[in-house]
Amino acid sequence: MVLKKRASAVLAAVILAATGTAAFATENLSFVSWGGTTQDAQKQAWAEPFSEASGIRVVQDGPTDYGKLKAMVESGNVQWDVVDVEADFALRAAAEGLLEPLDFNVIQRDKIDPRFVSDHGVGSFYFSFVLGYNQGKLGGNAPQDWTALFDTTKYPGKRALYKWPSPGVLELALLADGVPADKLYPLDLDRAFKKLDTIKQDIVWWGGGAQSQQLLASGEASLGQFWNGRVYALQQDGAPVGVTWKQNLVMADFLVIPKGAKNKDAAMKFLANASSAKGQAEFANLTAYAPVNVDSVSQLKGDLAPNLPTAYAKDQITLDYAYWAKNGQAIAARWNEWLVK
Amino acid sequence: MAGQVKMAAIPPGSPANAGGGAARASAGSDSKAAPMKRDNQTALRWRGARNLIPALLFLSLFFLAPLIGLLLRGVLEPTPGLGNYEQLFANSAYARVLFNTFAVGGLVTLISLLLGFPLAWVITLVPRGWGRWLLSIVLLSMWTSLLARTYSWLVLLQATGVINKTLMALGIIDQPLEMVHNLTGVVIGMSYIMIPFIVLPLQATMAAIDPMVLQAGSICGASPWTNFFRVFLPLCRPGLFSGGLMVFVMSLGYYVTPALLGGAQNMMLPEFIVQQVQSFLNWGLASAAAALLIAITLALFYVYLKLQPESPVASSTAR
Repeated sequence: MVLKKRASAVLAAVILAATGTAAFATENLSFVSWGGTTQDAQKQAWAEPFSEASGIRVVQDGPTDYGKLKAMVESGNVQWDVVDVEADFALRAAAEGLLEPLDFNVIQRDKIDPRFVSDHGVGSFYFSFVLGYNQGKLGGNAPQDWTALFDTTKYPGKRALYKWPSPGVLELALLADGVPADKLYPLDLDRAFKKLDTIKQDIVWWGGGAQSQQLLASGEASLGQFWNGRVYALQQDGAPVGVTWKQNLVMADFLVIPKGAKNKDAAMKFLANASSAKGQAEFANLTAYAPVNVDSVSQLKGDLAPNLPTAYAKDQITLDYAYWAKNGQAIAARWNEWLVK
Repeated sequence: MAGQVKMAAIPPGSPANAGGGAARASAGSDSKAAPMKRDNQTALRWRGARNLIPALLFLSLFFLAPLIGLLLRGVLEPTPGLGNYEQLFANSAYARVLFNTFAVGGLVTLISLLLGFPLAWVITLVPRGWGRWLLSIVLLSMWTSLLARTYSWLVLLQATGVINKTLMALGIIDQPLEMVHNLTGVVIGMSYIMIPFIVLPLQATMAAIDPMVLQAGSICGASPWTNFFRVFLPLCRPGLFSGGLMVFVMSLGYYVTPALLGGAQNMMLPEFIVQQVQSFLNWGLASAAAALLIAITLALFYVYLKLQPESPVASSTAR
């Protein structure tokens, strides 16, 4: 019995020593994103070249879970070093003290579009909510702008909209109701919900990118609000879908470092690399999501460029993440109330 | 009640029945003997209790402690007090979410019972080999990935799906039926997933019913209907009860299927909790909602324990 105990103690010590040295041998960094093709592209465009250049191993993890991030920071056991989050969450988490401030001696702030950088986060990529439609369902009758969503006689069929109370749906309802783009905020919730009431029975809600593609490609929905990259992917696959860029709504993902991250310095270097002109251009070329670095545009593939939000800059309306970071919760309460009514 | 049982336990025609005095005496000795026997039984029953310690420790460390931590958040965040619960009950939207949860749970339980009962019965009645095949099919469906099954329903039920296309080709309908992204979709998808949980306990109960009992019923002149409703169905009650309750409680906590097959209008409590935890970091409200779900589940379980009929099958085999 005694011998057994001693043996297991020795074994434990050996294991500890082994893992200890392993941790010292190479520096590790955990990168967390949403999975799927986006994270594959992030791995290919950022993580692999970064590991090669710096010797820091990047461990992929995910999907992003805000609840988990908060739990890690609160318990002081932070396993994640770089996390891809939505822009409004990045601002909100910073306000709640969940994030490390970024070191702009390492990260080149002046090269990044000011819409997509804050003290605690740097843009991962940006994308647009665009009006996508199924050509088979609508015939040659191509919708022009968000008002089409609310015109059920001219454009029959279901409308696919993003189901979470986050920037997008309320804004497009207000735009369709005639609110000028520069007068959107603060959001007139009464007016937005009243407008949405007119098509409530015709909405199918999607919760994720794959689901949205399924709805559009199958014709389950004739038209709707989609992430531009997803519509582009459908077009690449030969699905009969069209897209309208008028008043495309710009939203972004940010890369952030949770407070107390174990490999903070390596994480800063990773962010510097990911937000560099090259890193951003390579990611954009793989995904059709737009680069946040202003120098990247010249490095985009020629056939891809017209399919990126960067090509429709003058039709863009940037969603106000700061407003949502502050009011998101109150809007969510109203949103749920309206939904289940 | 206890006296009656004891009296009945005395075999008729025994000398004890002859005089009241003797009966009382025997009852007295009985009551004296009982505690000793019970002590023995208790000791026997608890002999293995030490083996419980690792499991109990594990559960309390990894289940109870976090659970209590979570429940505390409901009254501590964002400010101490019952504000979260107040919000949960005062806001009509949240009340509606609660109602949805119960309505869907009830409907799913009902449909799974209605469909599971005949299935379990057939499995019991057919020759053993066939029964085993049928049961394997039920089990196989249960072991297939939940996500895959849910998406399959989406493919089948959607407006451009197989079912609608077939019906339209046959000329039965000319507008696709709306079978998904609404309550119909949720109930179909969830009932399908829940049926095994009804069939398994029910089939076990049915298999244990002595066919002689039914035979005795018909010999005594009961019509098949009477025999079914007054003999067979009551004997199935334990299986119906445990299966039904299990399905209902599981339905209350279901997330994936309602999220994929439902419309946003039928939001259920689990989805609400996920939304509050993940998107809004509103853990106070989420934990209040979770506490409510736990309380309801426990209350239901208590009712179940109280109402569950003493299994007639078990007692008959014991005799």
